[in-house]
Amino acid sequence: MERKVYLDNAATTYVSSEVLSEMLPCFNAIYGNSNSVHAFGREASAIVDRARDRIAHAINAEKANEIYFTSGGTEADNWAIIGLAHAYANKGKHIITSKIEHHAVLDACKKLEEEGYEVTYLNVDSTGLVNMVDLIHAIRKDTTLISVMAVNNEVGTIQNIKAIAKIAHDYDIVFHTDAVQAIGAIRLDVKDMEIDAMTMSAHKINGPKGVGCLYLKNGIKIEPLVVGGSQERGLRGGTLNVPAVAGFGKAVEIAVRDIVVNQQKLRSIREYFVREVLGKIDYVTVNGHSHQKVNGILNLSFEMVDNESLLMLLDMEGVAVSTGSACTSNSIEPSHVLKAMGLDEQAVNGSIRFSFGKNISKSDIDYAVETLVKVVERLRSMSALTKAGRK
Amino acid sequence: MYSNEILERFKNPENVGGLRGANGTGKAGDLDCGEIVKIYILVDENEVIKTARFKTYGGVIAIAGSDVACDLLTDTTVEDALKITAQEINEKLEDVPENKLFVAGIIEEAIKNAVEDYYKKQDKE
Repeated sequence: MERKVYLDNAATTYVSSEVLSEMLPCFNAIYGNSNSVHAFGREASAIVDRARDRIAHAINAEKANEIYFTSGGTEADNWAIIGLAHAYANKGKHIITSKIEHHAVLDACKKLEEEGYEVTYLNVDSTGLVNMVDLIHAIRKDTTLISVMAVNNEVGTIQNIKAIAKIAHDYDIVFHTDAVQAIGAIRLDVKDMEIDAMTMSAHKINGPKGVGCLYLKNGIKIEPLVVGGSQERGLRGGTLNVPAVAGFGKAVEIAVRDIVVNQQKLRSIREYFVREVLGKIDYVTVNGHSHQKVNGILNLSFEMVDNESLLMLLDMEGVAVSTGSACTSNSIEPSHVLKAMGLDEQAVNGSIRFSFGKNISKSDIDYAVETLVKVVERLRSMSALTKAGRK
Repeated sequence: MYSNEILERFKNPENVGGLRGANGTGKAGDLDCGEIVKIYILVDENEVIKTARFKTYGGVIAIAGSDVACDLLTDTTVEDALKITAQEINEKLEDVPENKLFVAGIIEEAIKNAVEDYYKKQDKE
């Protein structure tokens, strides 16, 4: 395999050189435990403080101490759902979320159901949007938490977060959003959007893997999930991964600093890719919202072919794509997101997510399109489904 | 997640395509399970399958397994073809992931349907 084209940036990204240089000294030069009181510790602590400041500033948090570092997006999502539900259990045991959340949220909700909580999973429309009327109807006296993701990881649809948060607050309910795919893609302002809790992750924005954070507005109660230390204001035990935290802070700073230019680039890449694919391959549909979407994620359904076969053949030609979230691909299950959007089986089975990085070259995109044309044609020639039988 | 042998089969199946003059065709599976297998057989006057071909909509195992099935069918009597089991196909493929073991069952069914179709056509003549 000579050529390699990476179109799976929503799964993870490379660590940028700016981020890496921020991290490197923290592996050996500044190696103290950020919780130690001595000079070594204080030096590490200063690095952590700076990262916290950068992230707080990037999302317009009131205070830097509203950022709690975690091992990643999954932990932050788990913590938000379980920790908030537990903290407000005396008020009620009902939670509202959507059917298209990441499994980090959905599986945490399942855990709570095992504990006796009730969860309403909101439907979405064919574009992936939660309906406000449905949301209001789902609210009960004992509802304590609403969690709806800011940007869907499979189709890129941007939810009306501000409106959802407003409704939550009208009923005195805590609002959490999983913003893992949103940082650097859309403007996030926790004050303006009235967000109480928000999950973020570093590795989707050219930061390191294994670090994320939960923004938690001061005054909102939460029970810890990871215990065993006084770190993170006693709410998240464990020695901080200082190099990762440093890289995370820098990655967020850059992502927000460069948001406009990055989005312009991604938009033209996406538009070019879509035009090329739709021009060269028949029976393809674009999934998700027509305009309320992020530029980096594109989900297409190819009729008459199965997405696992498509993914594998593309991979054999050096083109890396995904069938949805990476966690789903190990055991290719039909996408719960596309099913919730009401797509038919063939569209679900034939769906592929292409997620772009801003530095991809035109020749790499052309190669990916050319390969896609070839591979789709091949699979269709082998398929038991035909165009004639389609109708 | 798949062995190199399975991936090689999947990438370069030898028995893919329709079959002109096929006197038995069988189909199994549906969109719901995500795999649809069509098997075509050309049976000679001694009831021996001379050629077997497939057209499959589905994942890696469905395609590789269909190809294996066609190998098993070639130069086999129709009577023996009915004895081919899902287990045999999975064994031939080796290392089929647990959650994909069911796919060979669909292929087995397609084979049986192809032979039945052949018998039906013979009866008519």
